[in-house]
Amino acid sequence: MTIKDESSDLVIDDEGHVAHEAAPAGRIGETAYLVGAVGLLTATATDALAVAGRHTGFHLLGSIEIVQSAVVFIASAAMVAATVVGSHASVHILTERLSETRVRSLAKFAGLLSALLFGILAAGSIWVASELWSGFEQTELIGIPLKWLRMIWIAAALLIAFLFLRSALRPKP
Amino acid sequence: MTPELIGLAGIILLLVLLTLGVPIGVTLALVGMAGLAVLITPEAAIIKGGVVSFEVISKYELGVLPLFLLMAHICFAAGASRDFFDVAAKFVGHRRGGLALASIGGCAGFGAISGSSLATVATISSVALPEMRKAGYHPGFASGALAAGGTLGSLIPPSGALIVFGIIAEQSIGKLFAAAIIPGLSQALFYMAAIALLCWWKPSLGPSATRVPWRQRLPSLRKIIDLLLLIIFVIGGLMVGWFTPTEAASVGVVGALLLWTLRGGISWKGLFEALRSTLRTTGMIYIVIIGAILFATFISTTGITDIMSSAVTDFHASPLIAILVMALVLLILGSFLDGLALMLLTTPIFLPIAVELGYSPIWFGIFLVRTMEIGFVHPPLGLNVYVIQAMAKDIPLATIFRGIIPFLVVDFLHLGLLIAVPALSLWLPSVTGQ
Repeated sequence: MTIKDESSDLVIDDEGHVAHEAAPAGRIGETAYLVGAVGLLTATATDALAVAGRHTGFHLLGSIEIVQSAVVFIASAAMVAATVVGSHASVHILTERLSETRVRSLAKFAGLLSALLFGILAAGSIWVASELWSGFEQTELIGIPLKWLRMIWIAAALLIAFLFLRSALRPKP
Repeated sequence: MTPELIGLAGIILLLVLLTLGVPIGVTLALVGMAGLAVLITPEAAIIKGGVVSFEVISKYELGVLPLFLLMAHICFAAGASRDFFDVAAKFVGHRRGGLALASIGGCAGFGAISGSSLATVATISSVALPEMRKAGYHPGFASGALAAGGTLGSLIPPSGALIVFGIIAEQSIGKLFAAAIIPGLSQALFYMAAIALLCWWKPSLGPSATRVPWRQRLPSLRKIIDLLLLIIFVIGGLMVGWFTPTEAASVGVVGALLLWTLRGGISWKGLFEALRSTLRTTGMIYIVIIGAILFATFISTTGITDIMSSAVTDFHASPLIAILVMALVLLILGSFLDGLALMLLTTPIFLPIAVELGYSPIWFGIFLVRTMEIGFVHPPLGLNVYVIQAMAKDIPLATIFRGIIPFLVVDFLHLGLLIAVPALSLWLPSVTGQ
């Protein structure tokens, strides 16, 4: 029996070995991993430098704003990657007791609902971004324009909606 | 239809969709937005979705989550998994029940890195269970100790569950980590006391193993000293105010990379895998957080929590009774919902009531995670039990569940202590000035 830890993406096999789930990611997933990895390393380096600087008298201007922007890339890429490899947390109490055909139908239903949700989130984000477009929102210290960060999230939400829709409509073998 | 009834219908719909296998985050967000659309207007719900989703993904404080996860994954890659048990076994293995005591120490140490109950129980069991069985430990007692010890992974900081709670309840993660230290350590001590008492009462449960000479014990500390220093530096630095939680996580990542290099195993392949694993988990949790915030907004708009807390006040019921009822509901729900779903479903409903009754949200976070932990070992879900059974198929499930009973009793006593003495959670954050 293999047990999957939904909250940490770990898989525990028969021997008790703990491994990370590694599903094939494809081109979209690999791109998401790359973007997210760059974001993670940027956030790590920026915050670590800011801490080191604070204790040695060197001030890294706008470190919080840089990390905040990196977090947008990390979160957007991470949600795309999680969708590509299908590692979203769900409750299995019913599904693990049903026949494969029923499970497939429920997965299709879940995929359609998920696509609908991300479509709505993208629509809401587009609505908000369009209202604020001419407001030239930017961060206080180093002036990172927020509208482009909003665009990244909108693109990610639309991509996730597409991925869920594709997985729901694609006939499974 | 009154807002309260709409709220109730929303909760029922949520449970139905969760049972049908719709992802937790998607269910929370859809029900939350549908509820807001009915209660306010569809336009307001769509805009709220847009506002909340961007707020969540652009929040600096939320950077703490992927960065702590990355630190844990790098520590895994550096091979920091079984060392805590090995070292503890050398020190106490020769005592009656000593290997079980060592397994609790191993779970506490490893839990501080992994932040996950299942990963902790699987990793420590894979090394401790064969050792205990070789030493003639009773299978039920050995597996019970391991299943219970594994739950320490969810509470001892840096804990993934506390980070998620801090984000959805808008509480300081530094405070939550500080608040979890005494409950986490006292939980480990409670388990150790139970093991000592059980072995005193029935020595055949955990016979003594071979004594390891001091000249082997002290050098073995070198295997864990780097990890211990990293954990103390990161959590300690956070508590004394050297850095913010997000900075602490970044410093932890740099420290973990350094540790990996010093251990001589760093590789590009391993680093990329750690980054990938971090991103997969992060993506899953971000969707859940967006959903949880939308659901919480819907629940607060319905006024359900106000009605429930005024019902408690009107009945002049003691706040303690209300908390005990909450614990009971959490334990019942924990029988069929996993920890994350349980936390996200109940926080928006129970937290405002607890606050209204005069409880600190920080204390509530510790109470919630502690109660949630019990769900990992109590039947019928008890995932830790299934992990152990997967590794030791010759031990029947019933034997493992029977072995857990004494530890469950200890769990309830410890939970009762946390409820009766909130200072156990709240004293350290007040001292450290978090």
